Amino acid sequence: MPTADTLSPPTPTRQKAIVEAHGISKQFGDLEVLTNIDFSLAPSEVVCVIGPSGSGKSTLLRCLAFLEPYDHGSVYIDGQLLGFEDRNGKRVRTSEKRVDEVRAPVGMVFQHFHLWPHRTALENVTEALRLVNGLSRQDAEVEGMAMLEQVGLADRAGHFPESLSGGQKQRVAIARALAMKPRVMFFDEPTSALDPELVGEVLDVMKKLAADGMTMVIVTHEMGFAAKVADRVIFMDQGRVVESGPPATLFRQPKSERLQQFLNTWRERHID
Amino acid sequence: MFDIALLWDVRGLILQGLWNTLWICFFGCLLAVSLGLVLAALRLANPRLFGYPVACYVEICRGIPLLILLFLLYYGGPSIGLRLDAEIAGVTGIGLYGAGYFAEIYRGGFKSIPKGQLEAARMLGISPWHALIRIQIPQMARLIVPPGTNQLIILVKESALISIISVDDLTKNATTIVNQTFQVIEPYLAVALLYWLMIELVARGGYALEKRLANRQPRHVAQKDNSHANG
Repeated sequence: MPTADTLSPPTPTRQKAIVEAHGISKQFGDLEVLTNIDFSLAPSEVVCVIGPSGSGKSTLLRCLAFLEPYDHGSVYIDGQLLGFEDRNGKRVRTSEKRVDEVRAPVGMVFQHFHLWPHRTALENVTEALRLVNGLSRQDAEVEGMAMLEQVGLADRAGHFPESLSGGQKQRVAIARALAMKPRVMFFDEPTSALDPELVGEVLDVMKKLAADGMTMVIVTHEMGFAAKVADRVIFMDQGRVVESGPPATLFRQPKSERLQQFLNTWRERHID
Repeated sequence: MFDIALLWDVRGLILQGLWNTLWICFFGCLLAVSLGLVLAALRLANPRLFGYPVACYVEICRGIPLLILLFLLYYGGPSIGLRLDAEIAGVTGIGLYGAGYFAEIYRGGFKSIPKGQLEAARMLGISPWHALIRIQIPQMARLIVPPGTNQLIILVKESALISIISVDDLTKNATTIVNQTFQVIEPYLAVALLYWLMIELVARGGYALEKRLANRQPRHVAQKDNSHANG
């Protein structure tokens, strides 16, 4: 249950960071899945979150997006507290509408795509443009086609998700999120549900986004990708941030034993 | 001998009964379908607040016979200041009773849609209302049409009970004809045939809707593919 934590006053750093979290914790029943996490994301920064399964990476991302309400701490998007507000010195949940407003700069891509199966690829992209931004069908379709073009799927516009490959589905999901012109993109294991040979096409789109200056948080098991694209890598274990830093340092000179162990296991599996 | 001339003589009563059964069933089913959706949507939107009351409502509908509900509405209503015409009591009874069953049918439909699809909608800023009408209902429609059709058929058949609260429906008028003519077989067989025709119409409507919803997707894809091929 959210507690009546007092709200920390805005600090100068909050003006700079697009996403900032202070001491967030999350419990599922008796299980503490996040413990006192601090996080900050500067504009155009690409942060990859790595760690073993069950380490809390996805929960962290979902708490930053308020898909899981955090129990303690604070998350700020563009300096605005997400999900809670101060009412007479007590912290209370905001309305879902307010959550949507504060979260508007964030786009999210999920492991299992979560496309709407009864809508074509183009309709998946245009749905929010029409319902949220109030664009006409025609304008939304022009915009939607541009987005599909950006992920290389303009020729699949009229196809329903069931006739697309996993990689194509994920690219449509990326186009759908990008259509809302987010300033930050959250990726929750975007390639984990894909056949190995389809991973590349999704990573290529993400690389391009990073090169274009998109601010991104990526929860991933793709170490090679993290090493190449991330400005910073965060290693999590048992709901805590164990280590973080530039990929070159983190991958080559891991300080903690846990990260060394994790990287060794990964190398054993991926290098013959 | 089956006396078909007798039926011709009493056609006015039969047609009046048919008309009353038709409109009472239509509005009763409309109420059941709509109220059921509202109940299921409330339960989904705020399980903490509405979960228990809606579950109780469903259990009450399933737990008491329609006839008792009709008696309570029509004969019991006046004692709490609720005076309903017999026809209106019939519509209300069928609607309230059916809503409990429809709420469960919708609940099954809602549960069939992966939560992630709604999370994706929320992350795009799509409101819960838009998510309901644009994402959930179109997808669950395909699943709820067969059990929904079945439930409508049950309601139409059970509507014969409104004859007991003195509505001049098909069943009551058939009984009136029997009492007037002392012929039992002809009037009851005639109304049985009419009920069967009504139910056949509902069933065929359900099949047509089911087929249309199931075919929509591939047909749509096929059209677009053809247009690509031709273009």
